[in-house]
Amino acid sequence: MNPLLRRGWFDKLLMVGLCLLALAWMGPLLWVLALSFKPNEFLLTRTDVFLAPPYTLANYLDILQTSSVFRWLGNSALVALMQTAGVLVLSSLAGYGFARCEFPGRKFLFAVVMFGLAVPAQSTFIPLHHLFSDWNLQNTFAGLILPGLAAPFGVYLMTQYFKAIPIDLEEAAMLDNASRLKTFLLVILPLSLPAQATLGIFTFLGCWNDYLWPLVIATKPEMYTLTRGLASTQTNFAQSEGLGFLMAQAVFAGMPVLMLYLFFQKHLITAVAGTGR
Amino acid sequence: MISRVGLRASRPAHALFVMPFVAVYALLLLWPLAKGMLIGLHDHDLLSNDSFWVGLDNYRQLLDDEVFMQVVGNTMRFVAISTPIFVLLSLVLALALNRPGKLGLVLRATFFCASVFSVTLITLVWKLALMPERGLIAQLLTALGLPEVPLLTSDSLALLTVALVTVWWIIGLPMILFLSALQQIPSDIYEAAALDNTSRWRTLTRITLPSLKRTIVLVALIEMIRQFQVFPQIMLMTNGGPNNTTRPIVQFIYEQAFMQLSLGYAAAASQVLLAIMLIGVSAQLWLERDRQVAR
Amino acid sequence: MILMRLSLLLSLALLASCGQRQPEDGKTEITLMRFFGSCEAKFGQINKAADGVGECGIVTTLVNEFNASNTDGIVVRTQIGEWGPYYDQLTARLVAKDIPTVAVMHESALGDYVRRKLVLPLDADFARVGIDVRDFTEHAQRGTTFEGARYALPFDTWAWLWHINTTLMKKAGLLGADGQPILPRSPEELVAQARQFRARTGKPMFAWAVANETAANNRTFLTLVAQQNAQLFAPNGKTIDMQQPAVTKALTLMQQLYAEGHVKPNLDYAAANQSFLNGEAGVVVVGTWTIDQFLRESQKPESALNGGYAVLPFPQLFERKAVFADGYAWALFKGGAATEKQHEASLKFLKFIWDHTAEWSRTGHLPVSRKVAESEAFRALPLRAGLAEITATGTGMPGNVPTQRAIELLIGEDVANLMISAKPVTEVQASVEKRVNTALQKARR
Repeated sequence: MNPLLRRGWFDKLLMVGLCLLALAWMGPLLWVLALSFKPNEFLLTRTDVFLAPPYTLANYLDILQTSSVFRWLGNSALVALMQTAGVLVLSSLAGYGFARCEFPGRKFLFAVVMFGLAVPAQSTFIPLHHLFSDWNLQNTFAGLILPGLAAPFGVYLMTQYFKAIPIDLEEAAMLDNASRLKTFLLVILPLSLPAQATLGIFTFLGCWNDYLWPLVIATKPEMYTLTRGLASTQTNFAQSEGLGFLMAQAVFAGMPVLMLYLFFQKHLITAVAGTGR
Repeated sequence: MISRVGLRASRPAHALFVMPFVAVYALLLLWPLAKGMLIGLHDHDLLSNDSFWVGLDNYRQLLDDEVFMQVVGNTMRFVAISTPIFVLLSLVLALALNRPGKLGLVLRATFFCASVFSVTLITLVWKLALMPERGLIAQLLTALGLPEVPLLTSDSLALLTVALVTVWWIIGLPMILFLSALQQIPSDIYEAAALDNTSRWRTLTRITLPSLKRTIVLVALIEMIRQFQVFPQIMLMTNGGPNNTTRPIVQFIYEQAFMQLSLGYAAAASQVLLAIMLIGVSAQLWLERDRQVAR
Repeated sequence: MILMRLSLLLSLALLASCGQRQPEDGKTEITLMRFFGSCEAKFGQINKAADGVGECGIVTTLVNEFNASNTDGIVVRTQIGEWGPYYDQLTARLVAKDIPTVAVMHESALGDYVRRKLVLPLDADFARVGIDVRDFTEHAQRGTTFEGARYALPFDTWAWLWHINTTLMKKAGLLGADGQPILPRSPEELVAQARQFRARTGKPMFAWAVANETAANNRTFLTLVAQQNAQLFAPNGKTIDMQQPAVTKALTLMQQLYAEGHVKPNLDYAAANQSFLNGEAGVVVVGTWTIDQFLRESQKPESALNGGYAVLPFPQLFERKAVFADGYAWALFKGGAATEKQHEASLKFLKFIWDHTAEWSRTGHLPVSRKVAESEAFRALPLRAGLAEITATGTGMPGNVPTQRAIELLIGEDVANLMISAKPVTEVQASVEKRVNTALQKARR
């Protein structure tokens, strides 16, 4: 058994420490939850409140009664899912290609892709916007989804992950005269679930909370993503006048991602003792 | 029998694996980048979209711009403060929480939780918490009998404060990177170590950490890349102040492009950021390549 | 298999995104871009502007009433933009040729669009639909006129005010026999009053938004400079002169007040309002937009403002009666109306707004029509009588100063440093002058 898991006193102490840290870590978020149930007017004068009344469901009701909110939720979900799927597919394929295959120009291409890691989003932001405007892709799902597919981080992650998979597995498969692609799909890919889950969560989260790009590419209210759409419903000084509403919006927008994480996180930790590799 | 050579035979068809990505990458990253570099050599008005050639003038101006110089310094300080914390803390958390069972699950979710929220909420919550006198932090300090320190308006502490808030916010992501890497360490190695009655410490330092070296570099790299581009949380919490001690490069770029409408100048600044990041990324990758050769 | 499924999904999604919305038959549709938030739950179904409450409520009901009552088959489709990045989004839309027909803008932001010929001149159109520009208040004229022509319909004027807790002022001995606060008439008097306030109440006199804030600091500064009848900007709007005695006086006063502790330290916008509402400071310097809420707070018996809320224009401390003011205005964009019919429709909408402009003053903002400003109905609104003068005395940065949003940031930031970081006045003057002049030079129009 993994010596790191031996349940000694040190282990117990560590867990207690972590629990305390976790409580402190959660503190601000529990506060957000509490504030989301308070009326805006009350929060104009006081924000250092937690569990005491008054309470109200008005903030959440206001969100649910905004006619476009479910459309925005749908937009965000579609865009994030498509972008995540796209990134996983492209990155896995490319990662395998770079990690395990030889072809002329591989080193050069890899360097070119790694170069992209250093390119800040701001270098390409405006020209990308011009490009998408020229192609008439503003206010379309393609406009929202496509740019995220070009990020090289996924390729880097998958390349590293695939490199660490022992080569004997592939050899065994190839011995059975399996094609490269089959080997990849049936042998290698299933082994990379933790990396897929990680990259999936990363990408989904990044897409869900993306700030500037959705703002400029989706300017029609029916194309807003959830975070942008909710933000547009706030008044000018919402940080002062509409605090409860802001908090409720944040909880509402954060819930889907949290649920996604909880759903996928079981793939993150395969059984430590034994299975998988 | 397929030899090892056969497995590694170079075949152009193999390039098909990477082509889909490379095509998207070239079209949606390299091409706009090239255009952006071109814009950096012009004086380009954002609103009316017209421009004229100025050559390297924008870059000359940037070098003379003391605000920009300070801004570069701020960004580097931010990266230098936050990256080590990210790497160490997420590694510790991943190691400690890499366990089956409910407790591990709950704790992992707790540390990940903050990252699902958008930056606007995070900054809002912390601004409220850091409010002078009435904020929760201030009240806590008063309750403990400590003097109140105005963190967000202090020339020396503002950047550190935002860095810590950033760590609090997105520690979950590098943590899951380490967790997924830990899954790859074959369990037989651990079993062998257990048979030898190896101590926890030796297991950690001789087995686990070396296996994680590649991931440590990856996490350091990704965090460095992300923090070099830090922007919304700083703008929303301190707006670059006080006294320009927190303004990051990306905020500078944003202000030049969208508020002063000087797209060319902003583009030039973003190329400078690119150059800085390229140095950082290359350094990291070079370090990693070295280690691979040694093995 | 999975790959095929995914690529099929992807192409379906792409196809779905290509469909365009068809306009309703027979109706002329125009698009309206605005901020002010959304309040559908409360006001989505209300079709009478008189029943709207608050900025969001009133603008929503105004549009609803127009849609319901106009006999020309015009439908105004509202597209709500976020407040913070509003202009970023507007710019992105203009670049992408997704141009709104009508949009609300700050008068201070209009200049850049006017000079690039992105908004339409409206004098002829106003004359045609019966909007009398002579009825515009002085400030409204200043805000919407560029080189003698009008480029937008003014919506309101909002200005920089002192919101006063008269209970605390009474305690400090600064309340007159008539129940009105005794206002300082010079910087020295102001400092003396502040000292007196602190001595008698133990609290700082002012709550200002200084942290994470540039607009507020800029506005106070501009007010003080305007009151000394000084011109900060050159006549062509291309240079700033920070070395004038008026500037030195203004900055010195602000720094002195903060350094001596008469301004509650390190507060941001929300904190400053909170402090005021909890009776921790006597005066909060903020704009017209908070009048409504503060009034409602003061009507609560447990509030620190109960029975003691007054609001006045920023007092005249120097020779001239002036206060910083800006305003919102409705502009028509070039290319925003695809057909002549749509253009006419947007003008009809503007006429409707003009005819109902009195409704908007219920938000706390000041009217842009002289008739409304002088009307009984307006004066009868709580606390407004004392503010009406701002329609004449309100002043902002001259219209020909480019990129005012950026200039406000540059000035406001260093004025904040003056206070928070105790940056010396001379340094602030030099640094603002250098940075603003560089920015103004760079601005091509």
